[in-house]
Amino acid sequence: MMASVHARLAGWRNQAPFLWHLARQELIERHSGSLIGKAWTLIAPLINILVFVLVFSKIMGARLEGFGAEIDQYTYSIYLIVGILAWTAFAKSLSAITNLYGEQANLITKVRVSLKALPLSVLLAESVVYVISMIFFAAFLVLIDFPFSAWWLGVPLVFGLQLAFTYALGLLLAVLAVYLKDIKEAVAVLLPVWFWTTPIVYVSDILPPWVLSYMQLNPLFQFIDAYRDLIMYQRLPALGWLAALVLVTLGLAVAAFWLLKRTERDLRDCL
Amino acid sequence: MIRVTDLKKSFKMFSRPSDRLLEALTGRNRHHTHVALEDVSFEVRSGEVLGVLGRNGAGKSTLLKLMTGVLMADAGDIHIDGRVTGLLELGTGFNPELTGIQNITANALMLGMSHAEIEARHQDIIDFSELGEYIHEPLRTYSSGMVMRLGFAIAIHAEPACFLVDEALSVGDGYFQQKCMKRIREFKEQGGAILFVSHDLNAVKVLCDRAMVLEGGRVVHEGEPEGAVNLYNRIMARQAEEEEGRHKARHDGAYGTRQAEIIDANAQGEDSHSQMLTSGETLWLDLTLLAHEALDDVALGVLIRDRFGQDIFGINTYQQQGAFRLVRDEQRRVRLAIEATIAPGKYTITLALHSGDHHLDDCYWWHDSALQFEVAGYRGSKFSGICQLACHIELDTRNDPAAREEAS
Repeated sequence: MMASVHARLAGWRNQAPFLWHLARQELIERHSGSLIGKAWTLIAPLINILVFVLVFSKIMGARLEGFGAEIDQYTYSIYLIVGILAWTAFAKSLSAITNLYGEQANLITKVRVSLKALPLSVLLAESVVYVISMIFFAAFLVLIDFPFSAWWLGVPLVFGLQLAFTYALGLLLAVLAVYLKDIKEAVAVLLPVWFWTTPIVYVSDILPPWVLSYMQLNPLFQFIDAYRDLIMYQRLPALGWLAALVLVTLGLAVAAFWLLKRTERDLRDCL
Repeated sequence: MIRVTDLKKSFKMFSRPSDRLLEALTGRNRHHTHVALEDVSFEVRSGEVLGVLGRNGAGKSTLLKLMTGVLMADAGDIHIDGRVTGLLELGTGFNPELTGIQNITANALMLGMSHAEIEARHQDIIDFSELGEYIHEPLRTYSSGMVMRLGFAIAIHAEPACFLVDEALSVGDGYFQQKCMKRIREFKEQGGAILFVSHDLNAVKVLCDRAMVLEGGRVVHEGEPEGAVNLYNRIMARQAEEEEGRHKARHDGAYGTRQAEIIDANAQGEDSHSQMLTSGETLWLDLTLLAHEALDDVALGVLIRDRFGQDIFGINTYQQQGAFRLVRDEQRRVRLAIEATIAPGKYTITLALHSGDHHLDDCYWWHDSALQFEVAGYRGSKFSGICQLACHIELDTRNDPAAREEAS
């Protein structure tokens, strides 16, 4: 028993350089041949953040009250950026993982790769983008004298849970997508719906209470709420909901692993 | 060391992809099965090359895919000590957008090499592939031969314990193929185990210690390469005959006045009893002639051409013994025994019936490439070029110091 666990861990460790290489390829080598090369990886998040700040604080003047006169003009931008960055990391990873087996069929049918490990390269790449974005975001907060607190330390934990959730849901969809081509289309159509049913660009206070009680069941609602609690309001997120998310993630992971174990032989045949 | 026991692999065929999922979940049968491999067992020891022969669809590729772990077997066990690499299909896991250098890193990582190992062998791989400046170009600009060279270079430098080679090797030019063969032989001498899948029968004879023949997913023969090659040829010949029965196109290639015809022709090696022979073996041609009218002046001619259509050797009965006669409706059998001391390769035999020394006056029957045969491996001493000419070598040893010492 111990030996098999050990062997499995060693197997994952052997794949690590390869997964990292795939992520790197996704981030950097995709831009090879372009004039400024890897700088593109940095420019996209930077421009995103600048746009949100300029459009909403300077041009449209949207604001949330209660952070002091100096900061209030930026509060809506902060609210938006916290939500958008987390959402982008989730949505891009989920759609990439869903289509992963089809797109990497060339690899899977030629080289021995673990189907469980392959999605990690996607998460790795998106995490790097997220971290870069968060660094720019933090720099912006420093510029406007927004107060920092120890609650920031909770952000990596919540993000870790978000990654686990994305992995479990993505793996489940990826296996199904090999058999049902409809899954790919459905994910592409449903992700924007999911985006608008999550309070990312609007504030949840504007919702009628009965709608809100349903929307709280949306995992992304809870994730994004938790980031805002930690970064903006500097308070403890709703631990009950986060615990529920851990359970949901575990449930999805068990389902995904069971499905993969049950169908892997067939899945490799039909790629 | 490779040990494969009772390997079985079948593919399920579904009418719709979603049926596959339903079956996987419910366990209820929604498919029909195609058995690709059944009861396959063999062993390749260290320092040994096992050849695998079989026609298209016999299960060779499935076997290799199972061995690399890309597919999963239904039953049976594959035991391999150490890393397996190989040259399976062209461009194994290569990314066409990346340069040769980047693909080396990517591919080597896929094979499970560490960054340190890659660093150490990087230059060797580039040197071996002989891609020169092209190594910095994206792979999509490569010819298939260049992709093969890169793939082979990476695979052989990954320090595998087992090496799998399939037909992809044949994409390379003659020079590089020889270089690969040399490297494979070195790898074998260092104690590597090699599974060699090829349609190049000469290479199988020269390189392999043993060979097995797959037919319909089963091992139908395992043993000396020569025997395996002969069996493989019989299987291929049977297929060709079936094919022929369907098309009945054989006689369409013949022309002439048809005053006389060759109604049956067969070429086989004296010992192999197939169209595959060893250089130096006697080639038997058995022909049956039929005359539709009485002919006084008939000569039978045969012409052997190589795969480029070049005449290698031709002879007719007039040159040997003068013309012969045929009476009306006579069937005559003729056997020619030709000592085929010619280089390995594929050859065709053109058959003709005409009058006199050549076919330009009266040509009764002319059939281009009526028969074919292949030569692989040498019996007796090797030679270079197209054919062996009788040659006697006398070494003058009088001034040889070693010989003088021996004498004194």
